[in-house]
Amino acid sequence: MRAKLFALLVFISLAVAGFAQPAKRTYTIGMSQCNLGEPWRVQMNADIRAAAAQHPELKVVFNDAQNDTLKQRAQVEEFVSAKVDLLIISPKEAQPLTEPVARAFEAGIPVIVLDRAILGDKYTCFIGADNKKIGKAAGQWIAKKLGGKGKVVELKGLMTSIPGQDRHTGFREGIAGTDIQVIFEADMKWLEPDARKEMESALSRFDHIDLVYGHNDPGAHGAYLAAKAAGRDGIAFVGIDALPQEGIAYVQQGILDATFRYTTGGAEAIDTALKIFKGETVPKKIVLGTRLFDKSNVATGGEALP
Amino acid sequence: MKSFKSALSSPAGRAFLALVLVLAAGAIFNADHAFFKIGTQRDTLRQASVYGMLACGMTLVIVSGGIDLAVGSIVALAAVCAAKMAIHWNWPWWQVVPACLGVGALCGLVSGWVTASLRVQPFIATLSMMVLARGLAKYASGGMKVSTALPNADGSYRYVEIPALFHGIDHSIFGGNLSVVTLIFLVCVALAWLALARHRWGRYLYAIGGNEEAARLSGVPVVGAKICAYIASGLFAAVAGLCQAAQEQQGDPEAGAGYELTAIAMVVIGGTSLMGGRGGIGLTLLGVLTIGYLDKILSINAVPEAGRLVLTGIIIVAAVLTQRRGRT
Repeated sequence: MRAKLFALLVFISLAVAGFAQPAKRTYTIGMSQCNLGEPWRVQMNADIRAAAAQHPELKVVFNDAQNDTLKQRAQVEEFVSAKVDLLIISPKEAQPLTEPVARAFEAGIPVIVLDRAILGDKYTCFIGADNKKIGKAAGQWIAKKLGGKGKVVELKGLMTSIPGQDRHTGFREGIAGTDIQVIFEADMKWLEPDARKEMESALSRFDHIDLVYGHNDPGAHGAYLAAKAAGRDGIAFVGIDALPQEGIAYVQQGILDATFRYTTGGAEAIDTALKIFKGETVPKKIVLGTRLFDKSNVATGGEALP
Repeated sequence: MKSFKSALSSPAGRAFLALVLVLAAGAIFNADHAFFKIGTQRDTLRQASVYGMLACGMTLVIVSGGIDLAVGSIVALAAVCAAKMAIHWNWPWWQVVPACLGVGALCGLVSGWVTASLRVQPFIATLSMMVLARGLAKYASGGMKVSTALPNADGSYRYVEIPALFHGIDHSIFGGNLSVVTLIFLVCVALAWLALARHRWGRYLYAIGGNEEAARLSGVPVVGAKICAYIASGLFAAVAGLCQAAQEQQGDPEAGAGYELTAIAMVVIGGTSLMGGRGGIGLTLLGVLTIGYLDKILSINAVPEAGRLVLTGIIIVAAVLTQRRGRT
């Protein structure tokens, strides 16, 4: 009797152990972030973490290269020797990281490149937003808002950076052919205090300003503070990036009239990673659209623009 | 002509000349008379104030023969602390202000102790504090700006009011013609001037900067006086951080990057010697105004960034060269 009971127990525990075995294998994803000093990149990691949390079979290991190209290169090499199942990298620079990424790719690790591109084609998929398109969308929205004519101040991001240049040229394309005049433009280097300073100069020079286009939301916010301190009403403010705690909050508080999202691609990267694990083919390049947030739609999550 | 020459033989005369030249440039390149508007003057003085507060503390340290590279990072740390306490924790102003000043003083105390007691070169000691305070600012803020948008547990955000303290600091008085921030800067100037020109401690700092060994032999409490100079610098930096947070309506852990260099440039343009032992707060005030107005004139004329940097560099070097020539 006792022997039978023992045998039954053994059988049950074996069966339970058998069922408890994971049905699916787990995947480790290495994520190399170039710099966590910027809120936008903190958001990118948060987006990846949130998307991966929906899939218990995914485990993401995050690494911050602290804005150091060589450190990021070492991180990629560490991920390769740790044999991660997939590598996501948001590279600091194209040239120095092209070869380490290519080596990972040749070692059989799928590579998703986020936001900034690398050279050549030795990676699986590039996901990024298009600043020129966002700038153009902002320009077109502004042209519509002002009825095709008006006086605009442009507070530019660092003009030695590609995003700054693209948000500038895209905007100029967007307002081309209208009677909108850019009466004052200055480089505020993405910094809010600098934006406020430049806006104060614009305010003391021009008695009439219809709208301020800031290349990022903190810039537009700094301009708003300047106008408010000077007691100037009737100026509209438009920014870019639409991070939840910045641009979207400003639109909800009635500070900005509109902001355009520069999507981090974090959620899309996890979607693409899952497709790769399932063996599906993924496009070599995914260009993310933008989302417009203004007073009318901010409560409902904005409006997708192609 | 003779009196003009004798005026130029003093550092104060030369610093004053530099300021007059910059103001004259502003009168010429007045950007459609924008330079003459009272609002422009108010904004210029307000924008120079945060740097000016740092320059006050920096003058005390430089006169004693040291340097404080940590002030820019302390601005960020104090700004983050102020925003955290005033916005997130809803503390009243009479708790926020002393707590912020305490943070700044503590950073200064550590820099001063490492420099004066452990005899690490001020450049290295304050460089370490610069990195450390920046790290603390990022740690305290979680790497994000501390703003009026508070995260909920589910990832959405709720918004709170901007604290009265911030509104009070970022406010204009006298019919909107003078910023409170500028007033705070003037109080800092007065305090630093009293300490340096009217108090025994100030004499000690000059003596230490002139010849530290001689000062020690004549009974000057070298270690204590030096530590106090760094504490004062940390305090002024904390005041600057409070003003920075109030003007941005948030605590940015990246705030104040590079401000220490602007503050040093302001001190040096005024005519205070980087070797220590010579200089004063009055000179620093002239330096603050010179760089502040230069910045504003370049801004209202919308000079592109590259041109601004080149011009600022040339003018700083020219001003410092005139100061040095006069000293021989």
